[in-house]
Amino acid sequence: MEALYEILEELQPEVDFHTATNLIDGHLLPSLSIISLIAELEDEFDITIPAVEIVPANFNSADAIWALVQRLQEED
Amino acid sequence: MSYSQPLYFAVFLPLVALCYQLLPQRHRWKVLLAASYIFFYATSRQLILYLLFSTVSVHHLGLWLGTIHTERSAAVKAADRAERKTIKAEYQKQLRRVVVLGILLHLGILLVVKYSMFFAENLNALFHITHLPFTLPEHRFALPLGISFYTMQAVSYLVDVYRGTVQPDRNLPRLALWMAFFPQIMEGPICRYSDTADQLWACQSINYHNLTFGCQRFAWGMMKKIVVADQLNWPVKEIFKNYGDYNGAVIFFGMIAYTVQLYMDFSGSLDMVIGAGEIFGVKLPENFRQPFFSKTVSEFWTRWHITLGTWFKDYIFYPVSLSGGMKTLTSNARKKLGNHYGPMLASGVALLAVWSANGLWHGSAWNYICFGLYHFVLIFSGTLFEPTFKAICDKLHINRQSKPWHAWQIVRTVALVNIGELIFRAHGMAAALRMLKKMFTDFDPGVFARGEYLVEVSGKSLIVCLVTVLIVLGHSILRERGLSLREIVAAKPLPVRWLCYYLLILFIVMFGAYAGEYAPIDPIYAGF
Repeated sequence: MEALYEILEELQPEVDFHTATNLIDGHLLPSLSIISLIAELEDEFDITIPAVEIVPANFNSADAIWALVQRLQEED
Repeated sequence: MSYSQPLYFAVFLPLVALCYQLLPQRHRWKVLLAASYIFFYATSRQLILYLLFSTVSVHHLGLWLGTIHTERSAAVKAADRAERKTIKAEYQKQLRRVVVLGILLHLGILLVVKYSMFFAENLNALFHITHLPFTLPEHRFALPLGISFYTMQAVSYLVDVYRGTVQPDRNLPRLALWMAFFPQIMEGPICRYSDTADQLWACQSINYHNLTFGCQRFAWGMMKKIVVADQLNWPVKEIFKNYGDYNGAVIFFGMIAYTVQLYMDFSGSLDMVIGAGEIFGVKLPENFRQPFFSKTVSEFWTRWHITLGTWFKDYIFYPVSLSGGMKTLTSNARKKLGNHYGPMLASGVALLAVWSANGLWHGSAWNYICFGLYHFVLIFSGTLFEPTFKAICDKLHINRQSKPWHAWQIVRTVALVNIGELIFRAHGMAAALRMLKKMFTDFDPGVFARGEYLVEVSGKSLIVCLVTVLIVLGHSILRERGLSLREIVAAKPLPVRWLCYYLLILFIVMFGAYAGEYAPIDPIYAGF
């Protein structure tokens, strides 16, 4: 989880990822940042994130992103 | 028959609602489906065959995809762990073939019907210039009502079934109703199957809350459409047609007036659409969220025509930027260019695809394509140079979180959006550039004081428009603060509540552009 926070804070230093729960709905993570984030997540956690998983529910908070990472790791 | 015509809101809609309410719940879908096809037929006659073909083919392709999914699950279950990956990949190929077939079929129809004339004209011009001995037939097809909208819905359904996020619908009438629901077929919103199909099929009874809230929303939309948009139609049409006769200040006024007209027309029509849906207990997705409070052009497009933007994001932007080749490109570029500039290449390609499609979706003309590319340049450069802008602001000690800075961002965004809408509305790109040039080289606001312009438009009309725009602005400010005017009014005592409703109706009756010299004006987006 700490590795995820590091990635997120490097991408958007102005956002408090420990408390934010509306990263997508509140436009805190724009589409272009999501592309960077996905590339980072795939490298760091050795997973493949398909386009179908790019939905607000999976990216609205650090916890949701972490749950997605864990689920994809299990599926692999 | 458009939504703001009495035939629709005073005859058709109440009649459908009455029949719907009188029938038992299990038969109500028949009323909605029949009404939807009657509405379509009344506008497009025999072109209804396009809709029927799309509906039947989408239904069939969805079932085909569903069968492959079921077979895949069974095969994966029966196989041992080592074989599963190969089996999944094989079935994935089959799924991809079917979904590509479906997309090509539906987008192919749209391309032929809407764009073949444009492509033929341009290719013939190219053949002529290059002295190639080819000539393509230039044939203009009649456009069925809402083809750009229901095709987007059809493609979204097929892709969602392919991805497994939506189960294929075995019930053809339910799918047909979702594709053709009459309040939304003309101008959207572009609904996902998971948004509305079940709600439509539930056929709730019409209750007091839904009826009153639906009618209020409809009346609010009517006010925007016929009090402002239709009234601005004539001056906008005149200025954009004969821009050569006018001073840059008048063209500037025309540009602002068109942006206001477009917003009032489209968001007003969508209020009518959503209000009509609400009467039947169907919550259609919102298409606008106070777009003129956006701080960037990118944000503007998350608040304006929201369902089109999310469609492009889900079905073009992410699939393109996350495709195999693009992912490799992003990974390699990130190592050399860093976290900010690295993903820009893939994002840039995906964004270019989105904005080319956005421009073309609006129409088959070069100014629509330029409108798309204009937004691509603004959004891409805004993101690309963000670190530079930040560094400049830091150096100049500008607080980017301060209110004056936010106000400046809003003004800047509104100005850029207005220029985009001028390109969108102008009679060709050359005209758009000449109009822009005039605004910068021949700008004399004194023409208004001297009364040298648009004598045919009464001052009273403009004052009514201005007052209505201020009312809508006040409502938008409340919405931006998370308050709902409808909820505030609904909480008031009955006499106050009904006084508000009557005032709104009286305002529309007194100041609407629906009688006398005004011909009924079709909604602008119905033409797309």
